[in-house]
Amino acid sequence: MQEIIGALTLGSIYLLFALGMSIVWGSIGILNFAHGAIFMFSAFICHQILKSYEAPFVVVALLGMLVGSAMSVLMQVLVFEQILKRSTSERSADVRILIGGIGAGIIPLAIAEHITKNQAFGLERSSFDIHVFEVADLRITNIQIITLACAGVLAVAIGTWLNRSRQGLALRSIGVDAEVASMMGINRARLATVTMAFAGALAGLAGVLLTYQLGALTPDSGDILLVKAFACVILGGLGSTLGVVTGCFMLAAAETFVLTQTSGMWVEAIAFGLIFVVLLVRPVGLFGRQEVRRV
Amino acid sequence: MNTFYDANIVLIQATFVGILLALSVQVPLRMGVFSFAGAGSYGIGAYAAANLVIRQDFPALPTLVLSGVVAALVGLALGLVIYRLNGLYLAMATVAFDLTVGVIAVNGGEWTGGANGLFGVLTDLTLPIIVVVVLACVVGVAITEHGRTGRRVDAVREDPELAASMGINVRRYRLLAFVASGFLGGVAGAMNVLARTTIGPADVGFGLVILALTMIIVGGALSWKGAVIGALLFTWLPEALTLVGEWQELVYGFIVLLAGIFLPRGLHGLYVDGRRGVAARRRRSRLARVERQMAGEIDSDAEAEPVAVDERVGS
Amino acid sequence: MNSWLNRGTRNSAARTGVVALAVSALLMTAACGGGDSAGDSEGALPAEITIPLSTPLTGASGFAGVAAEKGYDLALKEVNDSDFLGGTKLKLDKLDTKSTPQQAASDLSSAIANKSVPAVLGSIASGEAVAQSPLAEKQGMPIVYIQAGSPGVLVGDYTYRLTAPQGSYYPIIEKYLKDKRATKIGVIYGSWVPTIKDLGENAVPAAAEAVGATITTTVATQQTTQDFSAPISKVLKTNPDVVALLQIGAANATAMKQLREAGFDGPVIGNSSAGAGNLKPAGAAGAGMAWPVDFDHQTTDPASTKFVEDFQKEYGEVPLTYAAEGYDALWFVARAIKAADSTDREAVKDAMQELVKKPFTGAMGTDRTFEGNDFRVPGVVIEWDGTKENFVYAAE
Repeated sequence: MQEIIGALTLGSIYLLFALGMSIVWGSIGILNFAHGAIFMFSAFICHQILKSYEAPFVVVALLGMLVGSAMSVLMQVLVFEQILKRSTSERSADVRILIGGIGAGIIPLAIAEHITKNQAFGLERSSFDIHVFEVADLRITNIQIITLACAGVLAVAIGTWLNRSRQGLALRSIGVDAEVASMMGINRARLATVTMAFAGALAGLAGVLLTYQLGALTPDSGDILLVKAFACVILGGLGSTLGVVTGCFMLAAAETFVLTQTSGMWVEAIAFGLIFVVLLVRPVGLFGRQEVRRV
Repeated sequence: MNTFYDANIVLIQATFVGILLALSVQVPLRMGVFSFAGAGSYGIGAYAAANLVIRQDFPALPTLVLSGVVAALVGLALGLVIYRLNGLYLAMATVAFDLTVGVIAVNGGEWTGGANGLFGVLTDLTLPIIVVVVLACVVGVAITEHGRTGRRVDAVREDPELAASMGINVRRYRLLAFVASGFLGGVAGAMNVLARTTIGPADVGFGLVILALTMIIVGGALSWKGAVIGALLFTWLPEALTLVGEWQELVYGFIVLLAGIFLPRGLHGLYVDGRRGVAARRRRSRLARVERQMAGEIDSDAEAEPVAVDERVGS
Repeated sequence: MNSWLNRGTRNSAARTGVVALAVSALLMTAACGGGDSAGDSEGALPAEITIPLSTPLTGASGFAGVAAEKGYDLALKEVNDSDFLGGTKLKLDKLDTKSTPQQAASDLSSAIANKSVPAVLGSIASGEAVAQSPLAEKQGMPIVYIQAGSPGVLVGDYTYRLTAPQGSYYPIIEKYLKDKRATKIGVIYGSWVPTIKDLGENAVPAAAEAVGATITTTVATQQTTQDFSAPISKVLKTNPDVVALLQIGAANATAMKQLREAGFDGPVIGNSSAGAGNLKPAGAAGAGMAWPVDFDHQTTDPASTKFVEDFQKEYGEVPLTYAAEGYDALWFVARAIKAADSTDREAVKDAMQELVKKPFTGAMGTDRTFEGNDFRVPGVVIEWDGTKENFVYAAE
């Protein structure tokens, strides 16, 4: 039972990180390799500010979202829009977006590494204490509950919004066919900026929550999560919120299972073996639609 | 010259390894296969070479070739399993392959030396051997960029359906991409082990994928020349950036970022565009001269060269 | 990455022997172009000698390199101020490897090409050191490391290390286990780090056996493990009374915090990578972790105490282990140059061979010894109380 709580929390962290990445990727077609850097840097800015001011949890979380959102919009305007403007074909744009993200991601990483001298940073000075609740034999902390709740609420809200609302429809239509969407009067650039801002806010929130939960982040924490989130999105199938949710919890469950039932040596091999098998059975992920655009 | 060589031998060797690593990701990309398996092949080649030398006392040249073949066979097996996948799904499957190679490196017992890695891989490797092997690989790749093969490869990349309808066996080309990538990556890994005499799990990580991708996108994705330019640039750039001091990592990031934005077809593309620009200007002036000739203003017939210039330079 | 800590000694003797043989065989053939060591006339030291220091100052292992740098600098100042080399000044040429083995190897080959360099201070990172050692051995360049505990680092007469491998003094933890009445020990260890792998699979089980305790279960974690709740719940299921939590850097704080949140409030044993303030982010939850180290500023050894005082005078802070080791490494080089009375690499190497046969006094203590070219210390045990490290006991 305790393991299940652990797996759910881990899955929720993957989900908070992967959701933003997957929305942007599935709709406006940008695989943002700087997402991990945005995640880390949001928590890092909070850490820097908490050095001089004390702040309650909610303020820290909002601050993280604000920073993530601002960075994400900057990325969109200064990097991705510029690349798209200068691209002749979709294929060349896709690969260059990867490189743009890689290059842009190095910059916040370099700044954080420089300031922290590569040591871990936490959010010690916020006025938020971690409590452990004990129910029968089970133990759960307040930050775990917040993480689970945030992931659950956001996943349901985003899923519903994408499927039901007009803007959601517009966003999905861009993902299916950008040209037709623009002919139907959808302002791609504006929608893209809003989407990026939202994704950045999610990354910032994930950064703050994970820092509280783990106690500390290192500047390279984001890069480790990036590969895992990439795997989760692919596992579930690009462009499907249900897919991302499934992918994240599947990976978390697989990892928890291996870590608790074996010596733990092969945990990564099994996680990636799982991806391999899923892709062989379903080449577009569990809930992915048949790819319309070629990459 | 000799002092320069002695002082920079490591970077010189690394440049050649970098060329092969970049090619191992570029070749499949050019065939429209979004595979990063080259990084995993690098690991396989590296460990294969280390074992061949430590256990069997193999000399350098056979080690390089055999390690490449081993990695190529693994590449073929991988290709047979996943060639049907597309786009980033294929990319993810190959990244999973790369990371699995890393896990095996950590847990492979005495075959990989576990977390310690293997060391004492001493052979008769010399710079001429490196140059010859890399040259052979580059020539092999260059051949596929020209003539009939080149056009077929372009067709498979740009429009697989059309290529298939023209009677090209697309599946065979895609599998070939996996084999070639495996061989190039394997030789790159083997060469690195022989040059540095040591290999560990940290040397075969996800970072290789990023490095190779950066090299070919900034260098140029559609020609071996792009891979060479990228390998040269990103092997020597960190050395050059030492001058910048403590913010070198930041400057490195900016350079990659700016190249991504402003060089749509990489440095090689810039070069090709530049050359084409010059050619076009020359052609215009030549045309003008011809016109004037026709108008009878100049009565010389010295300019007998054909006017047509191939528009399709490079891409 | 992060493999800069002491790597284990398992198999090292046998393997080092093989490597050394192979290297010397290669030397026979390769060094014929020889005479590339400094051609200065024997016995005359130049006015200034440059010693390259090739170690990570930025990147993953940068924090340890920066800490060590202060020790090197202090020793350099002392050597020059005391006129130790009789009118000859030493100069440090600091080369940042940026935590990449390639840069480390490249910087070393530049140093080798510079004929006036008599010896090099090598990288603290194992992954970089194993890339430097073969070059140094092949080209006959004496190189002195600290940290870098991998078996591939010391491969022959030209490679030296002024840090004792953690596994060699880890048995000192036995007294702590006895005091805590340990009977059942659960182990969580990062198997991807060589040193820690050695501790988790060899040193901790050996210590447990020595005090009559059993290992209840062992879980390996990987480089990408950020959340430790799964391995922790596996270990706690076996009801251990002591947990061995062996992680690198920041992961120590996370694992410690999650271990306490999971309800374990007993004693925890760790490794030296939990030091240098790495447990601070865990807050109060970090209290109660103890680990052996090769050096602690609260030590009572007179030579160490003098170093600590001088260091505090210079920098206004207490020295970390890295600084103490760096200090000794530079003094080791200076003493070798003085004994050789030459900048000839062969002569310096021969002097180093003599030095390791005698007791060595420095920041790490009085009359410390070498085993082969490798340093040995008895070690001390320290404990984290949530805000600072406390000295628990030293080896008798």
